Amino acid sequence: MKKNKIVVIGSGRLGASIAAMLSNEGNDVLIIDKDGTSFRKLSDTYSGYDVIGDATDLSILENEALIKEAKEVIITTDSDNINLFIAHLCFHIYDVPKIYARFSDTDKGKLIENTTIKAIYPFILSLEEFMNMRGEKSS
Amino acid sequence: MKIIIANGTHEADFIVKKFKKEKHQITIINSDKNFGDYMSSSNHIPVLCGDPTKAYVLEDADVWDADVFIALSINDIDNYVACITAKKLFNIKRVVSVVRNPKRVDLFKTLGIDSVICSTYLLGESIKNESILEDFIKTISIENEKIVITEILIDKEYLLSNKLIKNAEIPSYLNISCIYREPDVIIANGDTLILPDDKLVIATTPDNHQNAVDFIQRKELNNGA
Repeated sequence: MKKNKIVVIGSGRLGASIAAMLSNEGNDVLIIDKDGTSFRKLSDTYSGYDVIGDATDLSILENEALIKEAKEVIITTDSDNINLFIAHLCFHIYDVPKIYARFSDTDKGKLIENTTIKAIYPFILSLEEFMNMRGEKSS
Repeated sequence: MKIIIANGTHEADFIVKKFKKEKHQITIINSDKNFGDYMSSSNHIPVLCGDPTKAYVLEDADVWDADVFIALSINDIDNYVACITAKKLFNIKRVVSVVRNPKRVDLFKTLGIDSVICSTYLLGESIKNESILEDFIKTISIENEKIVITEILIDKEYLLSNKLIKNAEIPSYLNISCIYREPDVIIANGDTLILPDDKLVIATTPDNHQNAVDFIQRKELNNGA
């Protein structure tokens, strides 16, 4: 099966923005969230698919989110545990080439060592941004 | 044994009482403070209040090198994360997860959980064994389905009927563990005679399970035996 889709899981502010940006770049994007009202956060220019469903359910992940056709998956639900579980599914079961997951808890990083899963930590990004801002101010 | 019990309510209480009688060292982690207090006072053991999916909580509970970690919350995904965290970061020998969704039993095992227990799945297996196979064959799997234990009712037409085990040319891939002959249980040896209406309890590997059943149920003479 050809892997040409980008699947975004979780349509919060970050997920919806990533989906819109990648869609505007011309990618074949699909976004899934269990709450249909969250798709309001998608911009008007978004031209991909939106799917209502629970991505921790294998049948939905396969049949609705088309995970087997994914070349990239970006996981941004508001639960670290769900993000870790889906990232493990994408790596161990579906062999998705590129996997990105957001984690609030940096300890979750230890559970994706020796995999190709890449972590986004808002805490570390905020800390770095703060230190940069502070550096700029004092210079 | 050092046993960690993460979350759960009445089933956790039941397991704690059972293990405590057997003198195991038990640690309880529960995210519900009220239930944790109840567990602590009714079982006289310390309870750590916290989320067992967080590595720092497991660290506070000193779960290092425990023999068994059991995750009993009502959330399958939380149980998965608690078990994986315990196994990968704290060197727990065996992690056990309860799941509500029976479709996740095999999936969790594939992802590295040593034992996965689902009451709906077990109920389905029991019903299958009790009703569809009508008491002729009952099968259970242990050690993550690496060993299959099967109970087979001996029909008078089977070749094995009225035969000594030592003369039955039992193949090496199956072992007759015991025989249930109402009301007795007989530990089988070479001199045990197999009688009609006996229930044979045999152990095999999954690969040889069907061969073993076929062997026990042979009716026609084979190789002049």
